[in-house]
Amino acid sequence: MAQIIVQNVTKAYQVGAQTINAVSSVSLSVERGDFISIVGHSGSGKTTLLSLIGGITNPSSGSISFEDRDISSLTSDQLSEYRNEKIGFMFQFASLLPLLTVRENLLLPTLFSKGEPSREEPSSKAIDLIRMVGLADKIEAYPSQLSGGQQRRVAIARAFMNRPDVILADEPTGDLDEDTERDMMNFFLLMNRDAGITFIMVTHNSDLAKRSHRVIRMQQGSILGQ
Amino acid sequence: MSDQFTLNSMALRNLRRRPLRTAILIAALTLMVSALVFALSFVMRVNASIRLTSERLGADLLIVPTGSRGSAEDILVENRATSFYMDRSLVDRVRKIEGVDKVSYQTYLVTLTGLCCSVPSSMVVAFDQDSDFVVTPWLKEKLGRRLKKGEAIVGSESAFNINLGLVEVDAMLFGSVFRMVGVLDKTGTGLDTAVFISDENIDDILKNGKMTIKAGQVSVIFARIKKGEDLYKVMSDIENSIIEVDVVMRRDVNKGLISTLGDISKIFYLTLILSTALSLFLVWAIFTAIANERTREVGIMRALGAKEKDVINVFLVEVLVLGVIGSIIGIMAGTALSLVMAKTFSILKNLPVDLTVLTRVGIGAAGLAFGTGVCALGALFPVQRLKKLEPLFVIKQE
Repeated sequence: MAQIIVQNVTKAYQVGAQTINAVSSVSLSVERGDFISIVGHSGSGKTTLLSLIGGITNPSSGSISFEDRDISSLTSDQLSEYRNEKIGFMFQFASLLPLLTVRENLLLPTLFSKGEPSREEPSSKAIDLIRMVGLADKIEAYPSQLSGGQQRRVAIARAFMNRPDVILADEPTGDLDEDTERDMMNFFLLMNRDAGITFIMVTHNSDLAKRSHRVIRMQQGSILGQ
Repeated sequence: MSDQFTLNSMALRNLRRRPLRTAILIAALTLMVSALVFALSFVMRVNASIRLTSERLGADLLIVPTGSRGSAEDILVENRATSFYMDRSLVDRVRKIEGVDKVSYQTYLVTLTGLCCSVPSSMVVAFDQDSDFVVTPWLKEKLGRRLKKGEAIVGSESAFNINLGLVEVDAMLFGSVFRMVGVLDKTGTGLDTAVFISDENIDDILKNGKMTIKAGQVSVIFARIKKGEDLYKVMSDIENSIIEVDVVMRRDVNKGLISTLGDISKIFYLTLILSTALSLFLVWAIFTAIANERTREVGIMRALGAKEKDVINVFLVEVLVLGVIGSIIGIMAGTALSLVMAKTFSILKNLPVDLTVLTRVGIGAAGLAFGTGVCALGALFPVQRLKKLEPLFVIKQE
């Protein structure tokens, strides 16, 4: 059974009198443990498709189901829970909160989790994750004290904080040098293999895309081929 | 360490992010709440004092010689010594009017410093102890007996003037020595500077030739009407049947003062409305700026799983902290201002009633609720807009 099923999904925006389909009649099936890369030019609808799967926005038509649950019909709060519990996001931009330290940025998703988390576990998990992305010495630093690449690595670590089932990564290695990019990709593949986390990654880097299980090419809101 | 990081701690850190902006908001709320606390303290104290003064007069109607209505108010309200007289026979005529229950009278004798007596300029009130129901209740309370001939009891302000306190002193009034045997409670009326004597003394005062008053004259007649009688009808009957008098209703005695205070209150309330509008605008403007500034952060939080209530929670804590701090400082400033003004405003200095601790706590609570409420109201729309934010909108903006 597919973990994620995207069925004939369209996302349309109204710009003045004109309707623009950012994603147009897209269908896609993602198995648990898949590692998919989405490639395509700017404006081809990659980020919008990722946002639709992640419940960040609702489709104009069609349906998206996650483990047999139709997420396009969820309420705002239910979508928040879905994003918090099932999805780990890596955004295209530096997405750290400037007022929080690295540790606090990592802990942020745990504040929105259902129930009272155990007191020690999230903090020790944050330390483990930040060590895994090679920034153990920056745990109490503020984002302004980090380079763009370091901030990106913190955001990568944060995506794993709530033990997500799926990671949605929008050009996650964009700011990284080649070595770090390779290290991060290895880290993703490790998490995919060992923890069974599904990855859907938008990238412009064809070398990275080649290392995934499947590559989806998008153009003008539609999937050209898989 | 981890247990220190909560949505609340995030909110507090947000307040420290721009200390000047936070300080401006707190200052605006402080001003508004202090204006409210001062206005409430002033109005409540004055109203309570007017009510008490009116109650202490004890009579429903005050009857004075025609044309002396203003003079009566001068004495009762504004401490201004003045004299006016009418024939004592009018007392019986008033008594006979249908609906009148009890009648008493007083005679006001003006003293002038250095001319007649050793008491500084003040009003000497001679009253009939047999029929009196105006002074006697206080007298019983303070002295526990009737005044003897040659004895006087003084108003609270006069007591201060002649240093009367724990010991009795003798003072010269109209050529006769009077023993001052006690001090009455403050009433907030002009009679606080008066000296009260029994009207048995008037004959001796006349004999000494120190006064222009003629025998058998009185200044004011107090009338209490029977239960269930129409006050206006009795008042009208008195004025129609006795053309030599004017009748003043008890509640109209302070009419001028009430009107003045009404105007002052309006100024206070206007100031309050303006400062509230200013604070509301300021909170709205600043929180709109805050909302714009944090759009990206809120978008990220929402994408990471923050519910609308989580976003509200962060802003609510900020609003409450600002509101509470601003209100508490405002309450302290307003209370301090009202205490200082009570000593410097002549209108407040003579008031017989001070606010109880409970009333002040109540005013403080009202200030706290008002300050916090205005802050919450001002922040409502910007925060509402922010909580509805679609995360994709923010992500696409980047």
